Amino acid sequence: MTAARQPAALQVQGLAAPFGNRRGLTEITLDVAPGERVAIVGGSGAGKTTLLRAIAGLGPTTAGRVLIAGRDVSAEAAERRDAVYLHQTPLLFPHLSAGENVAFPLRIRGVPPADVARRVHEALDAVKLGDLANRSPRTLSGGQRHRVALARAVVARPSVLLLDEPLSALDPALREEIRDSLLVLQRAYEPAVVLVTHELHEVGSVADRIGVLLDGRLAQVAPPAILFARPASLAVARFLGIPNLLPGAVRGGSFESPLGRLPLDTPAPNGPAVAVLGADGIAIAESGVRGCVVAIQHGPRVITAIVQVGPQRFEVRLNGETAPPVGSEVAIAVPQGHSATVVSSSEHPD
Amino acid sequence: MTPPVWRGVLLVLLASAAAGPLALLVVTSVAGRWLYPSLLPEHLTLESWALLLGRGRLASAAATSLAAAAGTSALAVMLGLPLGRALARLGGWRRWIGAAAAFLPVAAPPIALATGLQLSLLSLGLGGTVPGVILAHAVPALGYVTLFFLGVFHVLDPRIEDEARSLGASRIQTWVRVLGPLLRRPIAEALALGFLVSWAQVPLTLLVGGGIVRTLPVEVLGFVRAGQDRYAATGALLLVIPATLAIGLAGSARRAEAPPL
Repeated sequence: MTAARQPAALQVQGLAAPFGNRRGLTEITLDVAPGERVAIVGGSGAGKTTLLRAIAGLGPTTAGRVLIAGRDVSAEAAERRDAVYLHQTPLLFPHLSAGENVAFPLRIRGVPPADVARRVHEALDAVKLGDLANRSPRTLSGGQRHRVALARAVVARPSVLLLDEPLSALDPALREEIRDSLLVLQRAYEPAVVLVTHELHEVGSVADRIGVLLDGRLAQVAPPAILFARPASLAVARFLGIPNLLPGAVRGGSFESPLGRLPLDTPAPNGPAVAVLGADGIAIAESGVRGCVVAIQHGPRVITAIVQVGPQRFEVRLNGETAPPVGSEVAIAVPQGHSATVVSSSEHPD
Repeated sequence: MTPPVWRGVLLVLLASAAAGPLALLVVTSVAGRWLYPSLLPEHLTLESWALLLGRGRLASAAATSLAAAAGTSALAVMLGLPLGRALARLGGWRRWIGAAAAFLPVAAPPIALATGLQLSLLSLGLGGTVPGVILAHAVPALGYVTLFFLGVFHVLDPRIEDEARSLGASRIQTWVRVLGPLLRRPIAEALALGFLVSWAQVPLTLLVGGGIVRTLPVEVLGFVRAGQDRYAATGALLLVIPATLAIGLAGSARRAEAPPL
């Protein structure tokens, strides 16, 4: 990520924002580089929209600072923040044509009309709607309205683009169309993007980094590969749906568990711990701990066996093996060479 | 489902109910001597209309009514628009209380309202003045207009203001470039509503105006009580004209303003 070396387009420092009368978000700290895309994930009611609105100046804050392009905008009104907040559903102005909607941010900034026309044309062309500039929003399809809203959001080249669930509630084809438009516009206009979503599967393809919002705090912010491989806590691992959380203990630089002794990928203090093994962390073996196959899950790409060992269930990915019958007994083990990522020893998997 | 023939009959009845009294007013306003059981007047005269066009009581009353209605509708819209918007943004019991407060002067019997207003406006030295009458008319008009805008802003997505602000528009620019155009039609309709509430008002004018402020409905009432049917009919027709125009103007604004809220 070369972007990380550049000065931050957005800095959120110790931000606190209430949810109505409740405490809400606390101590939110986040830096986003120019041109970087950061996705904030969290469950419903986690405060994702509250966070975006607080950054945009559209919602209240009780503590902390927001800096955009190095300028403290904490006390500035929304229109002077250089950050555009886009709602989940596109809200085009119904009395303006698609082209006039895109021209809106330019006209209110007093951009000369000739420049407005050129820039509107460029923005609409970027989302392949150049020939629909004169159309009323009412005559556009849902996908077209989304693309016009995206073009309008970036046409004045804001430093920061804040997207609230931009791909949620869309059918798969439309989601791809909007994601492509977002990536095209982001490459062309280079705003730092912060998007929030509750759908984990949509962020891996658009985010440079992912932040996990749990209990009003940013529990972890990391690139997707690191986040899914090394969640910072059991709560993060659970939220991300990482399978195979194995209870055990760290002793003498390795992790001891019912599935055997595993090397640690990073040093950890001795004591009770939970290892995050992930989908590839357990395999059917000729010898190992014996468990009962309680279900077989057939997916489009992989088949997974659910194996019960004592009170705990493990997900075992079948790589070309014949699926064992439900109810049969199999041996499972951690593949040779697999190391353990250890998380909080104070928490315990279910 | 109503059969077409009955639908036609109902439409004719409805049209007759509206047009019949108006036609009778037209004839009465130009009727000379017209005694029972004659079906038609003995002769026609434009005397009452000539008086109106001159400097008669009807002309003066019409001008007072116009001024009061214009002032009332402007005041009601100036206050009712932000009030309705604020109420629409409130939730739960606060909105209920606000809406109930706006509804009270609409629901209260006009004579009760007039009695209360008379006492307070007289103490302010506004009894018997046009500004006092405008203030009195504005109370029920404000109730109607506030409830009207509560409905308007309930439908208008409040996030559209956030969207404009986030795109860089100041509060003023948001009003001028976004809300203003979107609200042009509702404002025209609210102005018409406020105008009509004042235009037809009698009890408030009588009690607060104290017989000094003579609006058209007050004059018409006086003519009716004195048995001067021709003048009463002429005044009554005058009362109908601005109301019809107000509805027509609101309708034309609706047609000109295509985008829905």
